Amino acid sequence: MSKRLIHLSRRQSRTAWFYVFITPWLLGLVFLTIVPVAIGFLTSFTNYDGLNLPTLKFVGLRNYIRAFTADKDAIFAFGQTLRWAALNLPAWMTLSFILALILNQDVKGRGFFRTAFYLPSVMPAVALVWVWRIILDRNVGLLNAFISLFRPNTAIPWLTTYALPGLTMIAVWTGLGWGMVIFLAALQGIPDELVEAARIDGAGNLQIFRFVTIPLMTPVIFFVLVNGLVSSFQQYVLPQLLTAGAQISGVPPRSVYLALTHVNLQFFAYQRFGYGTALLWLLFLAIVLITIVVFRTQRFWVYTETEE
Amino acid sequence: METTLVRTNRMSPRKLSQKTLSYTALVLVTLFISIPFIYLVVTSLKQDVEYNAWPIRFLPATPQWGNYTEVFNPRHHIFRYAGNTLFLALAGTGLSIITSSMGGFAFSRFQDVPGRNRLFSIIIALIILPGMVTVIPQFIVFSRLKLTNTYWPWILWGVAGSAYSIFMFRQFFLTFPKELEDAAEVDGCNPFRIYWQIFLPNCKPALATAFIQGFSGVWGDWFTPVIYLSHAKTTLPVVIAGAFKDPQGNTLVTVTLAASVVYTLPLIIMFFLGQQHILRGVVTSGLKG
Repeated sequence: MSKRLIHLSRRQSRTAWFYVFITPWLLGLVFLTIVPVAIGFLTSFTNYDGLNLPTLKFVGLRNYIRAFTADKDAIFAFGQTLRWAALNLPAWMTLSFILALILNQDVKGRGFFRTAFYLPSVMPAVALVWVWRIILDRNVGLLNAFISLFRPNTAIPWLTTYALPGLTMIAVWTGLGWGMVIFLAALQGIPDELVEAARIDGAGNLQIFRFVTIPLMTPVIFFVLVNGLVSSFQQYVLPQLLTAGAQISGVPPRSVYLALTHVNLQFFAYQRFGYGTALLWLLFLAIVLITIVVFRTQRFWVYTETEE
Repeated sequence: METTLVRTNRMSPRKLSQKTLSYTALVLVTLFISIPFIYLVVTSLKQDVEYNAWPIRFLPATPQWGNYTEVFNPRHHIFRYAGNTLFLALAGTGLSIITSSMGGFAFSRFQDVPGRNRLFSIIIALIILPGMVTVIPQFIVFSRLKLTNTYWPWILWGVAGSAYSIFMFRQFFLTFPKELEDAAEVDGCNPFRIYWQIFLPNCKPALATAFIQGFSGVWGDWFTPVIYLSHAKTTLPVVIAGAFKDPQGNTLVTVTLAASVVYTLPLIIMFFLGQQHILRGVVTSGLKG
């Protein structure tokens, strides 16, 4: 009798094993994601400053309202993030796409170029920033020295007033490899028969590109776009390292004062944990809304295969 | 016959100009990609006065190999910081690989278990979830638990594994034939032994990818150590971001550049060793994810 009680059916034992295997992750999900996020959400309705637990006050929606009223920097930082995405995404995506197109032809040394172009993304952010600091420096930077060959004594402030194009250069330099690898894999997935069929129908190279390659690439372009948008809205580390003295309480110049910069400064420069978490959820909401909008536009331009 | 002749004659100059254009573009991009690397290395061999001179000179007058020995000067404690970084990277990644592959095994081999599908959609949701959503809330919790300025957060993150790695291991394990575990089960292996002795030793590409991703993540992370750890316990990226100083406290630019080279080198070597897996991993996560 007791033996039968302990004896589990095969199904029960499989269920037990399944949960044994995922227990570490499940515990992490509860204690490292769900609980902190819930606490973070509650924090956004308080005046928490990191220490004031005894005098903690519930302030209702005040933190959320403040983001749209008293704090002019919040809207500014968000606008600057949009400007950053508008500059960085087209530059990065177009260049990666063109590179993938070139490498998709029968060029010698494709493997070499693919590896070489991917290499910058291996570099850790801190080293990356040192490299670009000596290139973008206003007085002795390599870029201004190069421009000075044509227009002597150029001193463009790439790390302050023009930090946004400066940052774009860095992002393109590091991101090129990833975009190119993804686009190249998708291009290689385009069936040769389709291209051949179009050619037999009398299509020229440009027409094949416009009516075969581009439509078949739209799902991947869409994927890269969504990924790029979400990470553009979370850009923080590069401008902080490059232009804010690598200090978490440092304030970057206005040109690269981005949304997450503003959020993190609330915590690490001003100890406004309540207000900071409110801004965090607003930024998250903005990312979700923008992603939904982009998803909605899908049916106008993303080609999906329909079964007939 | 004639038409083909005419055609090839007309096509070849066009093809030739297209080829020239392609190779020109490739050379230009290669320059754009490689000049920063080259400039980093040559500048790391200059004296600070040379670096600060205008007009600039691309190459150092005499290479200052001393910059590289200065990086290892005991005054800068680089071995201590490198040790801290290595410990966090190895411990965190090692733990994460074990628990993530266990998760991947569960999600690929136990398709029929109640609750499995719902949990799997949580995995997907976590992969998409922007990282910033959890970083600060976790920091608030860890600082209340007085776990800041300890290495515990890294250990706990490791134990919890990562949704992304679980997904990757699952994709990898799905390609294993069903007969493999059936045979082992008949032989009386319990699921843990099947995982440990059959699946784990046979997923080296996935292990390599997860290891390199996890290791470079911790090795390159500046933000987490900066908010969690005091200066004595911190990691290499924080020290390098803050620049090396001479005894008077002045910034040593070119020595810091040399340190950046030394600090980047392990990741470059690792990339070359695991290149095939990494690039394939990028593609599968990109196209199927």
